[in-house]
Amino acid sequence: MRYQILDKPEFSVVQVHFDAPGEQMLCEPDAMVAKDSAIEMKTQMQGGLLSAAKRKLLGGESIFQNTFTASQPGQTLWLAPGPEGDVEVLELNGTQGVFLQSGAYMASAPTVELDTKWGGAKGFFSGTGLFLLRCVGQGPLFFNCYGGMHAVDVGPGGYICDTSHVVAFTEGLQYSVTKVGGLKSLFFSGEGLVCNFQGQGRLWISTRNSASLAAFIAPYRPRKRN
Amino acid sequence: MQVEIGYRPAHSMARVMLQPNEAVVAESGAMVGMSTNVHMQTQSGGLMKGLKRMFGGESFFRNTFTAQGAAGEVLLAQSLPGDMVTLDMTPNGYFIQSSSYVASTPNVNIETKVGGFRSFFAGEGVFILKATAEGPGQCLVGAFGGIQELVCDGNLVIDTGHLVCWDSTLEYSVGKSGAGWIASFLSGEGLVCHFRGQGRIWIQTRNPSEYGTTVGRMLPPAG
Amino acid sequence: MENPQMPGQPMPAQPPPQQQPMPAQPQPQAGPAGGAPIAHEITHGPSFAMLRVDLQPGQTVIAEAGSMVARNQHVDMEVKMNAGRGAGFFAKLKAFFIAMIRKVVGGETFFVNHFSAPQPGSVWVAPTLSGQIAYRRMNGETLVLSSGAYVAHSGDIDLKMKFGGLKSLLMKEGAFMLEISGVGDLWFNSYGGIHAIDVNGTYVVDNGHLVGYEGNLTYTMKSAGGGMMGLVASGEGIVAEFSGQGRVYIQSRNLSSLVSWLTGIMGG
Repeated sequence: MRYQILDKPEFSVVQVHFDAPGEQMLCEPDAMVAKDSAIEMKTQMQGGLLSAAKRKLLGGESIFQNTFTASQPGQTLWLAPGPEGDVEVLELNGTQGVFLQSGAYMASAPTVELDTKWGGAKGFFSGTGLFLLRCVGQGPLFFNCYGGMHAVDVGPGGYICDTSHVVAFTEGLQYSVTKVGGLKSLFFSGEGLVCNFQGQGRLWISTRNSASLAAFIAPYRPRKRN
Repeated sequence: MQVEIGYRPAHSMARVMLQPNEAVVAESGAMVGMSTNVHMQTQSGGLMKGLKRMFGGESFFRNTFTAQGAAGEVLLAQSLPGDMVTLDMTPNGYFIQSSSYVASTPNVNIETKVGGFRSFFAGEGVFILKATAEGPGQCLVGAFGGIQELVCDGNLVIDTGHLVCWDSTLEYSVGKSGAGWIASFLSGEGLVCHFRGQGRIWIQTRNPSEYGTTVGRMLPPAG
Repeated sequence: MENPQMPGQPMPAQPPPQQQPMPAQPQPQAGPAGGAPIAHEITHGPSFAMLRVDLQPGQTVIAEAGSMVARNQHVDMEVKMNAGRGAGFFAKLKAFFIAMIRKVVGGETFFVNHFSAPQPGSVWVAPTLSGQIAYRRMNGETLVLSSGAYVAHSGDIDLKMKFGGLKSLLMKEGAFMLEISGVGDLWFNSYGGIHAIDVNGTYVVDNGHLVGYEGNLTYTMKSAGGGMMGLVASGEGIVAEFSGQGRVYIQSRNLSSLVSWLTGIMGG
């Protein structure tokens, strides 16, 4: 299986080439752009009913996943996320895991495990319905964000980031969530929660914030008629 | 102020590199990330003079970010997708559409302009800022879409939803696009601004309220 | 079958047609069929492309109503109905009904603006959503485009609206396609980048990612996953299965997916 990411960085789209029958790609719903007719698509609930239901209740990723299976070599599949922005790929090597903000997951090989049972991130996205997804295993993991994807190599100085801009970070980084600047700042500054990262690792942040787009569009929604 | 703008033109983010004790003033909500030694303070009280809450519209709060003790960086971005540009302050200053303002050096004076602009963005909650400075300074401006600098050499007619900022030396008046009201309505063009004189105008290649309307009406109704 | 090495380019610009040999009698210059290509520039692609058209006296460019960003003061703007050239009364009536249906479904307006200039002048035009603008010189061939993709045209080009039938109204987009033929300049947009897929057999494209197609292709609309579970849970909505030989143009983003994503983060 080979892949390339085109139209970077604003409309990143993934083109997958299957080399052998039986090769598979798992992805979030609604990610398919186009495919060879003969590629089989199956919809199922990922990872067992319990963890899937927990994911749905907590918001973020939907409980369903689509599995695309090649039937012949040379077949192609195009995948794209919903929002405008970038897609990044990590080849997981079985040792270090990565944490994804739940909405950032896009696609992965079946050999990558998505761990939603890991609960150590309470309060990270306080009240937004987002949570952290831990990904370990082998193979490619595709994640996306709304906006540009900016990688920061966190060093001894640490780094502060607005929580709503956190996309992903490597296992091994420690973090703590705080309000910035005191109570008055919380209301008037426009900045809400920030995350202070310490340790060694890589952090991906999005240059845009989906809540801002939602807030912008909200007044344009039709009104419910009573 | 040393600024690097990346991820252009759609998801622009400015990386402001501050010297020790140097500060940058930014619109509330613009901070994406920063070094741990940067201190943030919300402006209030006396510094808020000239900034009024416009009818039905946005209030305008700004935060001052100061690098304490050592150099530091602040990452700033506007909320909508689009490009950013750094403006060098001129003696006459600029008029800036309020939602385009992202940040400026502390010596730039920002005030809202009342009167004469009311018709600009009829009811859209957007207003016009005037930016002036004594001495060198910079303004960081972000758009919805790409930013195009146009040179007005005589006259230019621009759809108001596409205006980002312009040299305050230009004369302008707001009017309807077509010959009559019906033609204006049918033509789909909203209000336009007629510019006269010499100066630069920065436009954005997308119109936020048209975008909002197109996408918004496809969403489920709000309760 | 689809060519994996195909670069993500918009359709290639066609060179302007050759001048026709002049007739013997002294007559005013006929000019190339469809008019000489109009000078223009597309900037700020691939995400927020804007088109600037530089008009000479005698040239007209027609653009979707509401798409004007800026123009020189002396450029004339005239609003007209988008009923097709030389449309008679019934064609206009049909166009009117289609426009009303489209108002419900969402999509382009019924009206277009005709821009012309008594002296050289420019007009800047941009679509509403993000994406790229592509230019194509039409040389008598036919191209079918999703109706939301139309930006502007000039010359002897005919735009025929094709209504996909009642079933197609179930889709948020794609109920209307534009059949474009003739000679002249055409500008169209894509939401995201454009990619060409050469089809020789069958290929499936998510409806919201379809920009257009040309060649000897037919398509049927179907649900992606098959069966109830597939349609609702897969998230994939309607897809178009193309068969034959030709070229399909896809865009890397999908308005329906954007709306679903926004709905998910908006909650109530």
